[in-house]
Amino acid sequence: MLGKLIRHEIKSTARIFLPLYAVLLVFALLNRYLNPLQVFDSSGTPNLESMLKGISISLYVILIIAVFVLTLVIVIQRFYKNLLGDEGYLMFTLPVKAWQHILSKFLTAVIWYFMTAASVVISVMILIGADKLFDFLPQLIQMIREAFGSSGPVVLPAFILSQMAAGTLMIYSSMALGHLFQKNRLMYSFAMYCALYAAYQIILAILILLLGNNLFESLLQSAAPTPAQLNSLFGMLAAVAVLMAVVHFVLINHILTRKLNLE
Amino acid sequence: MNNLLECRNLSKSFGSVKALNKVNLSIGQGRIVGLLGPNASGKSTFIKICNDLLTPTGGEIRIAGKKPGIETKKIVSYLPERSYLNDWMKVSDIIAFFQDFYSDFNRDKAYDMLKSLGIGKKDRLKTMSKGTKEKVQLILVMSREAQLYLLDEPIGGVDPAARDYILDTIISNYSENATVILSTHLIADIEKILDDVIFLREGQVALTGTVDQIREESGKSVDSLFREVFKC
Repeated sequence: MLGKLIRHEIKSTARIFLPLYAVLLVFALLNRYLNPLQVFDSSGTPNLESMLKGISISLYVILIIAVFVLTLVIVIQRFYKNLLGDEGYLMFTLPVKAWQHILSKFLTAVIWYFMTAASVVISVMILIGADKLFDFLPQLIQMIREAFGSSGPVVLPAFILSQMAAGTLMIYSSMALGHLFQKNRLMYSFAMYCALYAAYQIILAILILLLGNNLFESLLQSAAPTPAQLNSLFGMLAAVAVLMAVVHFVLINHILTRKLNLE
Repeated sequence: MNNLLECRNLSKSFGSVKALNKVNLSIGQGRIVGLLGPNASGKSTFIKICNDLLTPTGGEIRIAGKKPGIETKKIVSYLPERSYLNDWMKVSDIIAFFQDFYSDFNRDKAYDMLKSLGIGKKDRLKTMSKGTKEKVQLILVMSREAQLYLLDEPIGGVDPAARDYILDTIISNYSENATVILSTHLIADIEKILDDVIFLREGQVALTGTVDQIREESGKSVDSLFREVFKC
């Protein structure tokens, strides 16, 4: 059933995401032929051509930002509308457990986070040429390796995934908490998000104060943190994020099974 | 408990408001039951609890011997008051969705009924009128070969012609031995199809019995008895 839910969720969201990515890629291609990066090289007086190039590269940057923002908006909207709105009457009368609904929404969101990141990277490759990016890639890997040591390939992906999980489930959680109110649910959801975010920051601050002393001492004394210090910091942040994600998951599941009250 | 639906002291409060107050009911198989009562009498709350969309605050409810949950959702077909159709879907999408999740869904039957209304597979739900959407939703619900159909105000917002269509669809499509519970305050229109009635008032069962029984004992139609019981 989880598989069916995910398949349906992907189908419902792909119709928005795929055209969005297509626009981004087409725009990158357009920019490549306009060659707008030359704008910054040319020292001549501004003319129509350089103005066009300037506009088109600005639009491209705005489009990239828009793709990121829209990804988040769709993730929020799918949970709010499909589970807590009128469509919830259909979803919650399917022979499916609430946790499967949450998981299907969350896993689909993660798929789209990666797809969005991939489409932006591909669009940059189209714009500046794949070869240049591939020249840069080994440098980036080298930098990460120097900073994080040999455990970087484990710690960094774990960190990124844990942040996605905590961030997304915190948003879902605030909407579920907002659902507990009879009126102004959207407003309360927003308020709940602010509260949860603040709580998360406070917990992080306390933990860093308790556990991170070591790191800050050495940061104050010398310049660069050692790989071991960076790994323990990112590892700790990941662990906290995973813990928060689990807490949110349990909370959302409780609200959706015991406290559901569709309008 | 041999009854299809049974509840004891079923209660639901929202804050200090008691939407349902110690409701006791037994409903057998193969009945068409009218859940009747004025607005805010607890009809929708009762139906939502049966569908696991609300958790009762007291008492208990069993459908085919089980608490509302995955197992009951497999055998209960529910028509909510709201339109739950995803606007972006085509008719074929929503049919595939039902087919995917309900093993008792009869796709051919659904397509036949849609066809007789002139609705095609490729039609978009977005472009349909409110009345057409309601009919599509009813067709989806009645195309399941369920044991219990819970229909919340199925004839609430439609014109008399559509009302007849809806009642016909319900009568001619519910599977044998299944029970249909439909809530409404438009009693005159549905009286002729009902076997049993339940009157709800302020979250409590005010009266329950078979339609024949009521007619015999009170010498009145259900409609006029309703007017009497709920006289303002």
